[in-house]
Amino acid sequence: MDENQKKQTSTMETFLSFKLGKEVFAASANNVVNILELKPITKVPHAPEYMSGVINLRGQVLPVIDMRIKFGMSPIEPTVDTCIIVLNINIEKEEVKLGILVDAVSEVLELEDNQIEPSPTIGTKYKAEFIRGMFKKDESFIMLLNLDLIFTKDELVLVEETTTKANVATEEEK
Amino acid sequence: MEAFKQKFVEEATEQINELEQALVQLDQNQDDMATIESIFRVMHSLKGGSAMFGFEKIDKFTHILENIYDRVRNKELKVSKDILDLTFEAVDHLRSLLNETPENETTLEVNNNKFIERIENALNEKQAPEHTSLHDEPVEGKTKTYFIRFVPNEDIMKNGTNPLFLLEDLAELGTILIAPILNNIPDFDKLDPTKTYTSWNIILSTNAGINSIIDVFIFVDDEAKIETHKISEYNLLGDSAIKNILKDSLKQKPEIKPAEIQELIIDLEGVFQEKEKKEAASDSIKKIDHSISSIRVSSDKLDNLINWVSELVTIQAQLTLYAKENTYEGLNPIAEEIEKISRRLRDDVFSIRLIPIANMVTRFQRLVRELSNDLGKEVDFITKGTETELDKNIIEMLVDPVMHIIRNSLDHGIENSKEERIKKGKAPKGSITMNSFYSGTFVYIQIIDDGKGLDPEAIRKKAIEKEIISADTELTENEIYDLVFTSGFSTAKQVTKLSGRGVGMDVVKQKIAELRGEVEISSELGIGTTVTIKLPLTLSIIDGLLVRIADTKFVIPLSAVQKIYEFTHQEIEETINNLFLADEQRVPFIYLRDVLKIEGEPPKIERIVNVEYQDSFMGLTVDEIIGEYQAVLKPLGRMFSDVDIISGATILGDGTVALVIDPNRIINEFATKDNIGG
Repeated sequence: MDENQKKQTSTMETFLSFKLGKEVFAASANNVVNILELKPITKVPHAPEYMSGVINLRGQVLPVIDMRIKFGMSPIEPTVDTCIIVLNINIEKEEVKLGILVDAVSEVLELEDNQIEPSPTIGTKYKAEFIRGMFKKDESFIMLLNLDLIFTKDELVLVEETTTKANVATEEEK
Repeated sequence: MEAFKQKFVEEATEQINELEQALVQLDQNQDDMATIESIFRVMHSLKGGSAMFGFEKIDKFTHILENIYDRVRNKELKVSKDILDLTFEAVDHLRSLLNETPENETTLEVNNNKFIERIENALNEKQAPEHTSLHDEPVEGKTKTYFIRFVPNEDIMKNGTNPLFLLEDLAELGTILIAPILNNIPDFDKLDPTKTYTSWNIILSTNAGINSIIDVFIFVDDEAKIETHKISEYNLLGDSAIKNILKDSLKQKPEIKPAEIQELIIDLEGVFQEKEKKEAASDSIKKIDHSISSIRVSSDKLDNLINWVSELVTIQAQLTLYAKENTYEGLNPIAEEIEKISRRLRDDVFSIRLIPIANMVTRFQRLVRELSNDLGKEVDFITKGTETELDKNIIEMLVDPVMHIIRNSLDHGIENSKEERIKKGKAPKGSITMNSFYSGTFVYIQIIDDGKGLDPEAIRKKAIEKEIISADTELTENEIYDLVFTSGFSTAKQVTKLSGRGVGMDVVKQKIAELRGEVEISSELGIGTTVTIKLPLTLSIIDGLLVRIADTKFVIPLSAVQKIYEFTHQEIEETINNLFLADEQRVPFIYLRDVLKIEGEPPKIERIVNVEYQDSFMGLTVDEIIGEYQAVLKPLGRMFSDVDIISGATILGDGTVALVIDPNRIINEFATKDNIGG
């Protein structure tokens, strides 16, 4: 907190961080509407696998996306910590409300511009365009997501083509 | 002021539409006074409004237009094709005047003055020959009854006057009762055939006024004795009972005096006074009705209202469920009452936005009228199912694409000449039918022509020529027709004024896709072409059958459901060719658990819901029937845009979501061709 001078010149943004497996991601609080406990999700036949289904959000039908599948992990297995984060995002100039299913919600982060590091172009398995930046916290990185893009792109998962290779590699290392 | 102007433009647009509609009616029945009146009224209010909001050109223009119809109304001018053509054109002109901007102001001004000049010329032309008859035309007034005694001199025929012609002239003025007085006719041997012995008692009910009666006899003034008396303020001959009484009394007493007749009918007149009072009363009721028959509300307010009602319905379902599970005294009746009220409220609110397709038909009728004139083709435009309702916004966005389809049918579909049609064994007059109907949760609009039909080979060749497909592409017939919707494809050999305006069927397809609809062509060479537009009912509530498969609840539109049958799982497994026995008829079925990829063990007993599909039936298997359910249909949203077997979702009383399935889609997608039958 010795950075008072810097505070005046940089802007502050609030993020909500959440866990998918062992990794931590964060979404801009501007996009977050609210957080819901896990409730029964109605599966929609013939929808892509990452679309968990729909729930009732105060009379509205809200699509719910399994973020683990979207990020190339195994589907979410419900625990007491499993949550649905309701987001408001812009898809092709249209405001769309949707829910993302995450393993757990961690905390609210207030970050200044200069605390956000650009995402490294190499070394992550996620496509760079979906990551707005990184924030280093206690030796681990939190990935700040570019939400509008994530849901606009009609891609099954957000993992680089090379992921499988990378995964194999990491597993071999272990 | 701008806001008011905007309002005026909105209102005027509607009035102009109304005007157009009335004109189409008038075109079909040129003597319909009621239509003429309503045309005049619309013009008049347009004039008033435009003057108030500073649309000077419209004011000036409608003023002159109104003059035409004022004269038509007063029977000074007869409706003719020329007048109708001119007015139709005027309707378009009015529309363009409404869209006045500083940029186009001068052009509009010039056009406006030109048009006014044209109308004035037309008026003057018409005026000349009809002028003489002007004075003879009766000033329309109330129908009154007169007694006339016509006693011609014996020598009247020597001047070339036939008294019977005068009676004929009289008869033309209204309803007439003629009783000849034959008392003075001499015996046959003394009879001089050149002389007139007969005189007449006449009762005439007319709205023409006493002067018109006197005018009839104007040339025989010196050769006959004529008495004319008004005997009643009412149309006595309009009442058959009174007419009979009068007839009898004239027969019995040829020398009857007017006063005596008046005495006779004084009691009978009471009937008319009563009637008149009633009419006056109902008139004022009508007027009150008229003033509150509609109000304008912005669509935003309607959308809000609909959202609230949807929430209310959802909450109400929760209440009903809660009341069922908890037995508090008095809770059930209240829940039931609320259910009833919210159901009605919902129906009413949802219907507000729906308007019948009839609202856009006028424009098409007019298009066909004008286009068939221009092309020299005789074509009937037939509409069916115009009472089918759709959301107002959808209807507005649908006009252009449908126009284009009709234009295509007229220009390219219908044969160029009667001879060509007769040669093919068709009726000489072509026909274009617009057929609208509901099916499931969709509205279908079909444009059917009985023209030349599409030639798949020609389309194929053209598509290859335009490099839309390669020469070795194999396509089914439907896929070939679909090429018509590809951009850059136009079947017209040359660009005509009508069809080739740079937009093709690709734009039609795109516009309809924007409404989440689909368009399809089917055709038979030499017989005709059918273009089918399928649209979702966005704001619809559907009566559905709530069913369950594993943990998921589905709603099947009740309109499609025919009957439900129960089978054991084993029976279903053992069926041959997926055919089940529905009341001794073999009906194919689709095992929903499989096609919807729902995992888990099926129950021992399953149900087959028999649904209508096109002209036959198809069974859909489910685990359990829960009951009837009125579903507020909610879109699944763009995230599920690829899932077309589900037409939406609805929220159940317990707060969970049920999916509304589209049986037609499921059958189309999963039934093998030879499976569909019945």
